[in-house]
Amino acid sequence: MSEMLHYVWLGVLSVFQGPALLELGGIGLPLALVMLVAGLVTGIAVGATPGLAGPMAMAISLPLLISAFGFTPDALLPVFGFLIGIMKGATLGGAVPAILFNLPGTPDAMMTTLDGFPMAQAGQPRRALRIAQLSSVAGDTFSDIVLFICAPFLAVMVEAYLDLPEKTALLILSISFIAAVMGSSVGKGLLSVSLGLVVAFIAAGTDLSPRLTLGIDALQTGVPLIAAVLGVLIVGEIFATLERLWHDNHALDVKAASDGSAEDGLQPGDIRRIAPYVGRGAVIGAAIGALPGVGSTLAATLSYTMAARRARRNPAAQPFGTGAPEGIAATEAANSAVSGANLIPVLSLGIPGNAAAVFLILAADSIGGFNPGPAVFSMPEGAINPQLVTVFGIFTLMSVGNLLNWVVGGGVMRAMGVLAKIPATRLLPVVLLVSLTAIYVQETSMFAIWATLAFGVLGWAMRKLAVPVLPFVIAFILAGPIERSAREAFSASGADPWFLFSSPTSVILLLLAVVALIFLGREK
Amino acid sequence: MTKFYTPLLAAALLVTSPIGVQAEDWTPPGPITMYVGFAAGGGADTQARLIAQGIEETYGWTIIPQQLPGNSGLTLAAELAKAPADGTAFGMVVSETLTYSAQAAGDPALQLDKFTSLATTAEFQMGLVAMAGGTFDSWDKVTEAAAAGTPIRFATASDRQADMAWHLGQKAGIEFNIVEVRGGAGVMDGLRGGDVDIGWVAGAQSKSVQQGEMTNIARGIAAPLADSPDAPAITELGSDFYLDGYFMFIAPGGLDPAAREALGAAIRAVAEDAASEANALLIKGFGGPSVRIGADLDSYMAEADADAAELIKAVGE
Repeated sequence: MSEMLHYVWLGVLSVFQGPALLELGGIGLPLALVMLVAGLVTGIAVGATPGLAGPMAMAISLPLLISAFGFTPDALLPVFGFLIGIMKGATLGGAVPAILFNLPGTPDAMMTTLDGFPMAQAGQPRRALRIAQLSSVAGDTFSDIVLFICAPFLAVMVEAYLDLPEKTALLILSISFIAAVMGSSVGKGLLSVSLGLVVAFIAAGTDLSPRLTLGIDALQTGVPLIAAVLGVLIVGEIFATLERLWHDNHALDVKAASDGSAEDGLQPGDIRRIAPYVGRGAVIGAAIGALPGVGSTLAATLSYTMAARRARRNPAAQPFGTGAPEGIAATEAANSAVSGANLIPVLSLGIPGNAAAVFLILAADSIGGFNPGPAVFSMPEGAINPQLVTVFGIFTLMSVGNLLNWVVGGGVMRAMGVLAKIPATRLLPVVLLVSLTAIYVQETSMFAIWATLAFGVLGWAMRKLAVPVLPFVIAFILAGPIERSAREAFSASGADPWFLFSSPTSVILLLLAVVALIFLGREK
Repeated sequence: MTKFYTPLLAAALLVTSPIGVQAEDWTPPGPITMYVGFAAGGGADTQARLIAQGIEETYGWTIIPQQLPGNSGLTLAAELAKAPADGTAFGMVVSETLTYSAQAAGDPALQLDKFTSLATTAEFQMGLVAMAGGTFDSWDKVTEAAAAGTPIRFATASDRQADMAWHLGQKAGIEFNIVEVRGGAGVMDGLRGGDVDIGWVAGAQSKSVQQGEMTNIARGIAAPLADSPDAPAITELGSDFYLDGYFMFIAPGGLDPAAREALGAAIRAVAEDAASEANALLIKGFGGPSVRIGADLDSYMAEADADAAELIKAVGE
């Protein structure tokens, strides 16, 4: 235990005594903290801009950050600081246009419009924003605490109890689960997962000549990771939105905001009113967040629906949909509580559960020196595990981010209201250009650009056909670990073809995968 | 006065020694891409990055590290073969990449003579490693367990290591379950997680052995291991071969001699500079720097190439 505390302390130090941006009166301004603040402000701005989302900003900034900070271990915390800042800022910022303009800045803020906008219309926009901020930050903080406690124990358990065949089965379970719960049908989810696996298998493997390259020279080293991920996730989204705007040029325009009345701002008793809803929302969000692939939109919907049901049973309560503070609180607490818990499978197993997590893994992968997975949490006797220090550095950054969100988040939110007025027809081409530039900066090859555009078309087509794109990306990232662990398990078992069924744990995990595919799949 | 004369002296030297001028004068025509043929975060990866960092600091050249692991370094070799031979691309592999692995793969474009050897950094401290205090922490325990019918999972990080595991097993009468993992770090993670029982590690085990977490149950090189002088050599356990080699930098074939000399000298300077982080890591984790460049390195590589041919023949029989 004291060893663990020592690591916590080292992690805190790694943030505050890390490389400094500049010295003020002999005291260094830690670079990681500066990047965190920059990320937070960017995140709130991005969340507040309809048509942009946190993952999009993370995707674009990642290559730029890497080219700015390089590939040394010193780069890890500043880069993670900025990305975590965006992640945290965007969950907060998404509520701004939802409340002010009835336009969710991020998809998970959809439910916020239901009560936030009526409250703003009734002359209390500041009150609505304040409630959203308090609930969001409370949910986020709770979720982070769950992460800090659960991730190390989960990792240690996995490492202690899971052998190679079980690890393979666990990865199979993860992608099956993601295929089952994302999108409109299991079939489409599986299709997306399979596509991701096939693309990732190009030029991978241990054979001495690269496979599946179709004789194309540029594919000898495989599809560039960043081109596939950004193409499908970001460029595809831009294409789809541009197509929507092509049909209706005013689809994303904002309606005029209402001014605040004299009775604006947080009302006495508000906090006591929303506290239980925040608490329930946070628990729902954290529980859902811990499962890979189930997004914050579901958490927000579930929490809002449950809160609305509870309110209907109480005749004295303000009905939901009329500007009830409880409605805003339930939604914002739940969608924000997803982000921290989502990192539990990321840090302890290396399995990303949502788009934001995908980019954190990409960052770790590109910079090197930090490989999310059970080994991160090992505490070798007498030696210092630098990866564990990095983890606690990340936890420190998250805590500081929450603190900042509490203190200054509200002010930044109010200031960002104006961003929703930027027309999407101007914004999206700029985002596209910046994305492609960022990819070129990292890959320095035109092949990467063409690949990105090709995957952008794939992403657009998948959206048109209602095939979810995130399973593609997650399968693409997990393909390597799955193949590797299967290979290792196969040879460690002395070339037993039934290695996956060699232990009860692994059979149970595989059965769970089948159960997930059969029972969690649903037609929407 | 010295301040005034030193540049003059340097200028005089530059004018009077034409060969020296070439290497001294050589600067890379652009940013250098340094490919790293090892998984990110492992000992070899850190070593390569620290040397690059040292060169950047000392010489002001820009070096961009890029991970390119896989196929025992041949993925890197294939990429490097396409890169310009002007000193703007080199990569870190192990000596066996261009000897054993190249021969085993058999691609004529990826043989030793198609590349320029720049410099070695450290010699393998190759040990057969197991968890200390575990079921397999001595060779006797391994043979006893094998005799009792316990399957033994043997982690290896390259084809040559896998062949050597097979060869050692054959000579000792043990049929190992040979698991190929990613690099020495992969072997050690596997040992810690209980996924494998024993495995080859070429130096990264040093810290863990010193701290009593792991133990070298045998050594793969002729000289005793710095951390475990008592570990028996694998040749004493029946093997016909050692599992020796170097971590080294290679460049595309036909590299400009001035670039070869300058890069080799730069790597040597950083690796042997007692003030550099790279040097500290080499001492702590790789038994100290062991830099060989130029003709000396070429003759070692030729020898290793011949040995590799023999091992392949022996395992094939």
